[in-house]
Amino acid sequence: MFDHVQAFYQPQTIKEAVRLLHQRDAETCLLAGGTDLVLRTSRSVTALVDISQLGLSYIKRDAKALRIGASTTMAELERSTLIQCVANGILAEAAANCGGLQTRNLATLGGNLANGSPAADTAPPLLALDAEAVLADLRGKRRVPLTKFFSGPHQTAANHALLVEVVIPAAKPGTAFSCQRLARTERDLAVVSVAVALQLDRQQRCTFARIALGAVAPQPFRALAAEFMLAGQIVTRELMETVAAAAAAEARPITDLRGSAEYKRDISRILVRRALVECASRLECAL
Amino acid sequence: MNKTKQLKRPAKMEISLRINGELREWTVAPGDILLEVLRREGYFGVKRGCETGECGACTVLLDGRPVDSCMMFAAQANGRELVTVEGLAQREVLHPVQQALVEHGAVQCGFCTPGMALTAKALLATDPQPTEEQVRQALSGNLCRCTGYRKPVEAVLAVARHELPGHAESQPAKHAAVGQSVVRVDGAKLAAGRPAFTDDILVPGMLYGKILPSPHAHARIKRIDASKAKALPGVHAVLTYEDVPRVPHTTAGQAWPEPSPYDTYLLDSKVRFVGDRVAAVAAESRAIAEEALRLIKVEYEVLPAVLDMEGARNQGVAVIHDEPDATGIHDAKHNIAAIIRKELGDAEQGFGASDLVREREFRTQRQQHAMLEPHVTITWLDPDERLVIRSSTQIPFHVRRQVATILQLPVQRVRVVKPRIGGGFGGKQEMLLEDICAALTLATRRPVKIEYTRQEEFFMARSRHPQVLRMKMGFKKDGTLLASEMKVLASTGAYGSHSSTVQGNTGSKVLPLYRAPHMKFDCDIVYTNTPVAGAFRGYGCPQGFFAQETLVDEVAQELGMDPIELRLKNLIRKGDTDELSAQLGEGRKGLARLMRSCGIEACLERGAAAIGWAEKRSAPRDPASHLRRGVGVACAMQGSGIAGVDWASALIKLNEDGSFQLQTGCADVGAGADTVLSQIAAETLGVTVDKINICSGDTDFTPFDVGAYASSTTIISGGAVKKTAEKVRERVLELASRLMNISPEGLACRQNQIVAVNGSASLPMADLARHATYREKLQIMESASHFITDSPPPFCATFAEVEVDTETGKIRVVHLVAAVDAGVAVNPVLAEGQVEGAVTQGLGYALVEEMKLDENGRMINPSFLDYKILSAKDVPKLTTILVETEEPLGPYGAKSIGEVAINGPAPAIANALFHAVGIRVRKLPIGAEDVWWALRENEHKPTVRRAGATQ
Repeated sequence: MFDHVQAFYQPQTIKEAVRLLHQRDAETCLLAGGTDLVLRTSRSVTALVDISQLGLSYIKRDAKALRIGASTTMAELERSTLIQCVANGILAEAAANCGGLQTRNLATLGGNLANGSPAADTAPPLLALDAEAVLADLRGKRRVPLTKFFSGPHQTAANHALLVEVVIPAAKPGTAFSCQRLARTERDLAVVSVAVALQLDRQQRCTFARIALGAVAPQPFRALAAEFMLAGQIVTRELMETVAAAAAAEARPITDLRGSAEYKRDISRILVRRALVECASRLECAL
Repeated sequence: MNKTKQLKRPAKMEISLRINGELREWTVAPGDILLEVLRREGYFGVKRGCETGECGACTVLLDGRPVDSCMMFAAQANGRELVTVEGLAQREVLHPVQQALVEHGAVQCGFCTPGMALTAKALLATDPQPTEEQVRQALSGNLCRCTGYRKPVEAVLAVARHELPGHAESQPAKHAAVGQSVVRVDGAKLAAGRPAFTDDILVPGMLYGKILPSPHAHARIKRIDASKAKALPGVHAVLTYEDVPRVPHTTAGQAWPEPSPYDTYLLDSKVRFVGDRVAAVAAESRAIAEEALRLIKVEYEVLPAVLDMEGARNQGVAVIHDEPDATGIHDAKHNIAAIIRKELGDAEQGFGASDLVREREFRTQRQQHAMLEPHVTITWLDPDERLVIRSSTQIPFHVRRQVATILQLPVQRVRVVKPRIGGGFGGKQEMLLEDICAALTLATRRPVKIEYTRQEEFFMARSRHPQVLRMKMGFKKDGTLLASEMKVLASTGAYGSHSSTVQGNTGSKVLPLYRAPHMKFDCDIVYTNTPVAGAFRGYGCPQGFFAQETLVDEVAQELGMDPIELRLKNLIRKGDTDELSAQLGEGRKGLARLMRSCGIEACLERGAAAIGWAEKRSAPRDPASHLRRGVGVACAMQGSGIAGVDWASALIKLNEDGSFQLQTGCADVGAGADTVLSQIAAETLGVTVDKINICSGDTDFTPFDVGAYASSTTIISGGAVKKTAEKVRERVLELASRLMNISPEGLACRQNQIVAVNGSASLPMADLARHATYREKLQIMESASHFITDSPPPFCATFAEVEVDTETGKIRVVHLVAAVDAGVAVNPVLAEGQVEGAVTQGLGYALVEEMKLDENGRMINPSFLDYKILSAKDVPKLTTILVETEEPLGPYGAKSIGEVAINGPAPAIANALFHAVGIRVRKLPIGAEDVWWALRENEHKPTVRRAGATQ
């Protein structure tokens, strides 16, 4: 029970919300969907700032980018035909994995990212999509690439700011995406989750690649060395195997109740390779 | 006055919302969770199951969409529209979804039903024609521990298709009530979410009890200072071991004298596992009670903890039960709670004469019952100052006796009331909260409630015994079994509740499944400083069958025989006697079991056909694919009650309108006992089931019954009901004979009437009843008691088809078939529900469920986030086949059904895994990583034999 909460704020504007957050002491807590907040074992929270009234629940697309308001729920993402059609639907697929329907009807995209869980389901697809986070603070708004957003377990660039929007730049034409996930059960956190983007030219030479992993490092990350190995190369099964091994080598998994570090590393390799193969097959590339 | 930190009274705020169509304004604290507020306001259909957003029991519709009310602050609901289950039914008319859940047998304990109904309603509102996949996806946030989801999913699909349930298995002519899939007698109230469970009442002046759990696995309490806690405003009592009587007892809910050691105390100066009771408080709110726990200062002398069962008996290891007053412990100095040594024939001689002897070691884990309703008890003193215990228990009468003993009250001064139970599975065959809750009531003279949170449930309640089993079998070349031997080491945790009896079952219910002239069973049950084990559906058999059925499969493969053929060669048959059970009784000498009915052959035959055994065992595989399929089989048996120990009684009286009042001490745990017993009474009395009013499980108003355990309800309580109903029928016919001038032999009760057998006359039961009441001034009323000296086993053949990912090790179960001989199924749909629930629990046991402890004995996964029970999306296609036999000892030919099917999934899946990829995993659960390791080890072996191939 949150018996120490003395105040429940419902700011109506981003400015007001930012001001409340700026004034806050350590025990003022931002409340989005609440599904992670309620699980916090430390229940010393004294004030809640509910950001549901800021008009941040939207999915918009223009020529350059897709913009998703931070209060958009996981259920809205998975049901959105727009999100289902973008990037082979990997973001919709990831959103559908965020707990049961009851949780997904509350949990928000902003919350999933700002909570900073290493296993955040939406992080790998968004990393593979070169997404950026729009943060607001007293000085105004700024954009932070998602690669710079996560800094450690439950540590993000949004620590002293409000995450208001996620911007996904329009993907280069002819890019295929895939996400892969292994979990103990259908409703468990991932042991490993992976998202991959791949673009090939007519010679099956890789012109663009993104490989993102979740749950196998202190934060979701892109396997840059593995991506680099793909750049400009003709894609073969062997190359994908090598790249997948390289991506796994970049992981820093820990042993926990979902698996040993050794296992998670190997699963990283397998899932990265499967994602690459699936992208290739979506590009109708014969391996 | 003592200066004590007082809880800051939180600010209050007003919220207004529309709930079930009505505008409401509530004053809440800004930190109040919506679930708490809803229950406080009397919306008891919103259930508390986990408080971590995993189980969905607290589901409400927020602006039409299902959400977990445990995940929301009440303030967030301001200005929104809420629907709870109370808003679904229109007065007494259920919503079509609720109606379908009831009619399809999708309601068992009913604790998850309100949430499930709301989710299904929301799904059908947005998607009126969902696929099965979509229904499973939608329901996957509503955990159910009883049904295995098959019937709930069917119910939702049927609503979408506007179908009525068709019960093909109902028997047309044989009986009027027995054998019919009548709708459960309590289905409507459960689906409507009416306040039927222990916590669904507001008792004026009630205090909240909380137990301080031990942070150490093993420690002595050197000093305990409760003064600050006692001084906290709102605290009414703090109890430590210094304040309560010290009466050695067992918490096991077993018939007196319990075969479990008396090694437990209400509170003690020593703690023996992380979660053991240190102190208890009663306060005016949960928050104050929690704060009071933090203010109790305890100085511990931390002792070395015994965590490893294999080292527990060694010299020099800490002694867990060094108290002088415990009794019934086999060897306390060596931490041995009990030992079992039994032998039939001469096993060594049998192995000597065998052509093939195989011995393997198996390891099984701690599993928890995870019933959706955690343990909860409310106690108070009634106006006569008698202690009333309202509790979610499977054993009202044992609780009455145990609490009276522990608190040193006459049994006469204690009344135990069992409302609806939100699942038990053996976890509530334990006196777990009632004693301490009652002690707080006696100390404060106020009503007190204690309920476990999900986390407390994991830390403090019971679990399945982990075991290390060495299984050895000797066969002749032709597959004839000569000798089988099982050596078991089991951990009972810190206390010996159910220790010797669960493990006794591991031998006595498992080994005799196969005829062998020589059988040997050795077992040591040791204490460790780990969570306490206890009774759990299967009661020692899942461990034993995992070992035996996996080893039999291995031998079949080595002998080049089909695993079914090898089993058929050795299985016990009708007319055989299980002599091992005579040696292994309920902690004492038992009784031999004569097989008067046995349908195991038919179970194997029909199960094999359902899974497609012949084709799938020899199906060619694609060597290029990383996915490999395999099929496996396992057999099992159980018992029906504890022979010569379990007994029950019933009381039936005729009401003036021709209906009957049936009083039984039996405790419906959600399995449908109230319905089955009503059917047996209705059948015997020749009335329709709706003419039976059942009242069960109240020690003041119902006659004695040992309780709902050991698969005893249908055969023992049902036997008592049948006997009682026969006596009542005799009285009815006597009177009718006088009124109708026909001899009683020429009369029968049928369709709510007394009819002449020759068809010449009839008298409505209602007329007879009115006549008896007002003319004869006669209450027709009888009671009877019942026990049997045998325990007829139900049989089960389980088939699993799996698909193994050879890269990740992930096992996907494609299809599970359970063919069960339970005698005559009194209610086929309810019987199927028992099988499907047991199979699903067995599937979780096989693949994922495990309570994991750290190096200090502290559980590291005490929530549904980390301890996974299966959701609707995880459960594969389930096929249930009821193979009917006639059991002469059971009422109308019935045997038991509640447990037997839990034994099959683990060995069947292990065997299917071998068939798929040629590896044996001899530990549970078989996680993807276990398979991954085993596959890697296998890669380094020179040749991999193609699994299941005949030579």
